[in-house]
Amino acid sequence: MERVVFESVRKIFRHRPALFNWLGRERGGETVALKDVSFSAAGAEVLVLLGPNGSGKTTALKLISTMLLPDAGSVRVGGFDARRDAGEVRRQVGIAVAAERSFFPRLSARENLEFFASLDEVPRRERAPRIQEVLRDTGLEEQADTLVMKFSSGMYQRLGIARALVKRPVVLLLDEPTRSLDAATTAHFWATIRALARQKTTVLLATHNFAEAAAVGDRLLLLDRGELLVDRPVGDGDNPEALRAFYFRMTGEKGEKLVIGDL
Amino acid sequence: MISTLDKLYAILWRDLLTAIRHRSGFVVTLAGVLIELAAFYYLSRAIGPGFRPSGVEYFPFLMVGTGVYTFFVMSAQAFLSSVQEAQQTGTLEVLMTTSTAPSELVMLSSISAFGGNLVNLLVYFFAGVAVFRAAVHANFLSCAAVLILSLAIALAIGIAAATLQVAFQKGSALLWLLGSGLWFLSGTMFPIQSLPRPLELLARAVPLTYAIDGMRRALLEGQSMVAMAPTLAVLAGFGVVLLPLALAGLSLSLRRARQNGTLSFY
Repeated sequence: MERVVFESVRKIFRHRPALFNWLGRERGGETVALKDVSFSAAGAEVLVLLGPNGSGKTTALKLISTMLLPDAGSVRVGGFDARRDAGEVRRQVGIAVAAERSFFPRLSARENLEFFASLDEVPRRERAPRIQEVLRDTGLEEQADTLVMKFSSGMYQRLGIARALVKRPVVLLLDEPTRSLDAATTAHFWATIRALARQKTTVLLATHNFAEAAAVGDRLLLLDRGELLVDRPVGDGDNPEALRAFYFRMTGEKGEKLVIGDL
Repeated sequence: MISTLDKLYAILWRDLLTAIRHRSGFVVTLAGVLIELAAFYYLSRAIGPGFRPSGVEYFPFLMVGTGVYTFFVMSAQAFLSSVQEAQQTGTLEVLMTTSTAPSELVMLSSISAFGGNLVNLLVYFFAGVAVFRAAVHANFLSCAAVLILSLAIALAIGIAAATLQVAFQKGSALLWLLGSGLWFLSGTMFPIQSLPRPLELLARAVPLTYAIDGMRRALLEGQSMVAMAPTLAVLAGFGVVLLPLALAGLSLSLRRARQNGTLSFY
């Protein structure tokens, strides 16, 4: 059964200039973030969203999480409509956002996770072991009781992943999850994603990293300027180089390799 | 119900830890309380004992007026600041994706913000009595009734400010209006009967006027709940009308922000 369904989803961001903008150059207008996009994701599937900046990847994730509402079409999670049954959808979805500092700076990592776990209605007696588990999975055990205001970018990012995992969502949304992670943590994270998929979690992962797409993806969505260009499985021949060539061919972008000698 | 209490505990604990980890915060607050009370004490001495508004000494009159006023405005300010901070850091968007309904989350967060300022108010009154010898004849039951009913109104004001913040990023404007307008109209420094008739009528439409008047009568004159029934009824009426209105407004503005993608705009 399909767990996440996007049906002809359209999302437009309208910009209105400030009320008193006589001297400024700000103009009104609109940006079409998603143009009638349809796709679905089943349980135990890792769906990778690739695309240039502004292609609509983050918007798609935010629509599933109910942070945004669609202008047209429908988004359904586990059979629930994200507009009408937002509460039911939120119970099923966990999201790790790209914004690094979305935590309470004067609480420790553990205290932040306890706070979000209680808002996510994780039963009280299960909280401590679950938090310990996600801290271990994200390599934050040693920093568990450090105030997060002292964290580096990479540690924030790990904590964001831990927060998404602690509620044990059936749909996990990850927006550039390994952007600031070191190589060892990234490799461990990819293994965690595959393990979650084996446990029937649906994972939607937005990334610019072709190695990540090849390592964890079951299926690939390629978005460009709000349009879905490609929806296809990730095959055995899809190594990072092949994906990279495919991406540039489809989007028409120029992706020449940087040669140090050219600098 | 258990889940809601559990969430309230989590929010209170978060705010308490944040407050005590701002190491200088408590000392600065306490110093501010003492300086403010000292200013009002010497102001009332300068005016002299002959000025007895509503039949009570001027210093206790000022203490209650400014204490309740500060409780209202600072609580709303604290709550609004937490919403603004959550917008700036991106926490607000994440909070809106948890299993807790946004309106429940905002309501519980505002209770925490107002709870913290309630402690400040009690410290303010205690210091006024203990350090500056304000004469009080408290009826604690009546004081508690006024506080509880005032809290509902204060919550509504805080939530209204948050609504404007989410909808137009202008929550501070409402608080500015409150800060200046209510100071003048609610009988904080002088009895509203001193105002010209049209302004006095306007003052009688302000909920804070009844909160301040009720607290003066309960704390300074020791009036019973029966004697204060009309004032308590007006406070309850304001709460019953304003709180659901503020929550409905907030729900609407959150939905609009999710539609427009402006949840994290500030």
